[in-house]
Amino acid sequence: MNSQQDGPARGVLSRGVAVLAALLVLGGCAASRVEESRQANTGMKSDEAIVILGRATYNERQTETSFTECVSDVLESGSRPIRLISQSEFQDKLYPWFEPRTAPTSADDLGRLFSKPGVQEQIENSKVRYLAWIDGDTITIDKGGSFSCTVSSFGGGCFGISFWEEDASYQASIWDLENLTNAGKISADSNGTSYLAGLILPIPIMARPGNAACKGLGNQLKAFLTQDETPQEG
Amino acid sequence: MLNNIKMMVKYLVDINRNVRAVIGGVNSWCCGVVSLALLVTLTGCVTSLDVTGSLPTPLVDPMPARIGVYYSDEFKTFAHEESISEQGTFKIRLGDHNFRFFEGVLGGMFESVVHVGEPPVTGDVSKEIDGVLVPKIIKYGFLTPGVSGLKFYSASIHYRVTLYDMAGKEIGDWVIVGYGKSESQLFGKGEALQKASEMAIRDGGAKLVTGLQGQSGVKAWLAGVRDGEVGG
Repeated sequence: MNSQQDGPARGVLSRGVAVLAALLVLGGCAASRVEESRQANTGMKSDEAIVILGRATYNERQTETSFTECVSDVLESGSRPIRLISQSEFQDKLYPWFEPRTAPTSADDLGRLFSKPGVQEQIENSKVRYLAWIDGDTITIDKGGSFSCTVSSFGGGCFGISFWEEDASYQASIWDLENLTNAGKISADSNGTSYLAGLILPIPIMARPGNAACKGLGNQLKAFLTQDETPQEG
Repeated sequence: MLNNIKMMVKYLVDINRNVRAVIGGVNSWCCGVVSLALLVTLTGCVTSLDVTGSLPTPLVDPMPARIGVYYSDEFKTFAHEESISEQGTFKIRLGDHNFRFFEGVLGGMFESVVHVGEPPVTGDVSKEIDGVLVPKIIKYGFLTPGVSGLKFYSASIHYRVTLYDMAGKEIGDWVIVGYGKSESQLFGKGEALQKASEMAIRDGGAKLVTGLQGQSGVKAWLAGVRDGEVGG
């Protein structure tokens, strides 16, 4: 029985390795696009800060906390880090005005919010100059293949391949809390296909479009805040 | 390019089926035993968690009234236990954090707050307050991604908040629903459910802070307090 299976097994293994090698070359890539729309000039003093807030709604979609944390990491890193105040710290200090069902939905509501007792003082004391509302999520738009792992008395292993295509689409609305205006918007879209191949061991080949969108949006947001650019149409 | 890869996937799927058929025939009884053991392990799983979180003080002008608050033992020790088929048993203790959260929220909403017994309140303490507030948890519920089909754990808490005057007469009662959700994490369902429950408590507190003062019964009661018609 063993000798009969050796031939086909070798063939399967060699073809599998070839497919895996092809996937390693072709797979794991995410294509990204970042667009910016500026409504006002921006700039930050060294002691001024920004807060990154994830937009939460009570339907089936919500901006992932991991995405807002990733954007925060991008802003805080690099040669010109930006001072950040965490979402939880900001929401606690201004409780209950930035909770999912009480937060302002547009920059036009800022004037009304600032008239509430203590709100303006709290924001000025924290030196928060900008709010960036992140809206969007990553969804799986296609998936397929077959992948399974087997455990038996003779050993175990995984075999097969599965893939899933994800689309990450996010938008940051930047509000200027000094002028109580909408400073602009940045959108980032990324798409990629990930694979999970099994050749005894499971081998993931991840495209991570969410990560690509985060890096693109974070870097663009950093440039948007620290550079004075002439207003663009759009 | 994607089509080529999908064709390769189909090819591998066919091979996979054949290999599994051979291995499955030889070791089917063994796999059955292992699967059964795994099933017993998974269904016997218990997720036990204590809800925790920050305790913010609301950024509002306090209402010009002195309030007594009665927290029942049931409120302070509230816990929820539920078994879900193929997902195990969930034991969620939220009473302690919920109690401390309400203490902070109500502490910022009124001029002064004292703990009192069940209304009507008598004795010396009755002279120091203008009314009694009794919060209760009517219902707690949660959904797992396995049940909802979404990427999130979600939780909801139904509160009933009742305001009594100093004679123990009910001025009004309001049902407040707090919602919360948190993205699911691999091997972290307890953490996600903890976060969703914490968010539900925060949301309920926010509704209380922003909504209570606008209730007609509360407005009339506050007017009476201001005019010296009620209170101890």
